[in-house]
Amino acid sequence: MVKLTTNFGDITIELYAEKAPITVANFISYVEKGFYDGVIFHRVINDFMVQGGGFDVNMKQKATDATIKNEADNGLSNDKYTLAMARTMVPDSASAQFFINVKDNDFLNFTSATTQGWGYCVFGKVVEGTEVVDKIKAVPTTNRGGHQDVPVEPVIIEKAVVVA
Amino acid sequence: MTSWIISDLHLSAQRPAVTQAFLHWLEVEVAHAESLYILGDFFEVWVGDDVLNDVQHGAEFLPVVQALRKLSDGGVKLYFMHGNRDFLIGEDFAKASGLQLLTDPTLIQAGNRRILLSHGDALCTDDTAYQQFRSQVRNLQWQRAFLAQSLAARIAFAEQARNQSAQNKAVQPIDIMDVNQSAVEQLVIEYEYPEMLLHGHTHRPDVHALEIDNHRCQRWVLGDWHDTAVVCRLDDDAIQLVTLQLEE
Repeated sequence: MVKLTTNFGDITIELYAEKAPITVANFISYVEKGFYDGVIFHRVINDFMVQGGGFDVNMKQKATDATIKNEADNGLSNDKYTLAMARTMVPDSASAQFFINVKDNDFLNFTSATTQGWGYCVFGKVVEGTEVVDKIKAVPTTNRGGHQDVPVEPVIIEKAVVVA
Repeated sequence: MTSWIISDLHLSAQRPAVTQAFLHWLEVEVAHAESLYILGDFFEVWVGDDVLNDVQHGAEFLPVVQALRKLSDGGVKLYFMHGNRDFLIGEDFAKASGLQLLTDPTLIQAGNRRILLSHGDALCTDDTAYQQFRSQVRNLQWQRAFLAQSLAARIAFAEQARNQSAQNKAVQPIDIMDVNQSAVEQLVIEYEYPEMLLHGHTHRPDVHALEIDNHRCQRWVLGDWHDTAVVCRLDDDAIQLVTLQLEE
């Protein structure tokens, strides 16, 4: 499990290492080297998801490791409080950024091994601190640094650690 | 809730990256939104809805139709207004994609704003040759006769019309292809001074302030889709033009 300590409270995440081995190893590697410490949730959309793991409080994007293979064909669904990897339009383009679904987002699920159908790889679920996620999803947002839906007051991951 | 207004994607098999970017954008921005308005020139060319049933020529459109259908099944309201490239989009396409056709222009209410939506080509009245062509091809009888021809014949016609249009553009002064100010004013007056007129077609994204008969009105212009796209985002309390980065 991984614990995210945020300025809104703690979020504990269970990881699906069997279903998404590459993605979980990738996530843990970022956690262990402290990559997420001081990183924000920069894209917050109530009724959709909260995305973070890529920008610091000044909306400066952090350099990431190599992109990983998309494991969205693992049978897991983008259900409420699951975590999935964010990516560009290229299916295998996830690196550090992830998002927490704040509702069942069926349209993000794998449907076929095509550019259109790959979907977004679920690799974990919030098991403690769902009320923290609920607080985060409702914060007021604005435009910042060429991005939309950025929280007016930063939502900061102060520390991310692997816990037993 | 958020609504999006877009135009001038000119989707075609020649520019697959734009289609990819559009489909990705639907997933990450529109699938959770309230509605999507497409104000014409969505496709580079449309020769009739029966193209969807043609194995060879229909294949490129199917991912788009399926993606729109998925959105609409998920509860996003989809609206489509014809452009000068895709004026032959009909009820079959609308049904397959789960969208509703709008006449040009259409007035919508967004919060306390009335927004008049249009593709924009009808406002380019300085281009008399084009307006002549437009009234011909928007005529239902002409359309019926055209659609009665074989798919191959229609594709050939469209190809020729496009080459002609490209040639005309090359020799015409730039101004003639922008909207005509008095055509804009006439439209605003006819629709009783909406706060906003929003259109595409000219590929000149901008916001223009107008004052007509002591009424303030803004003319918002969307951009086309290449390396970037300029679209309109409508929230409960705000409206803005947003530039999307389409390249990787």
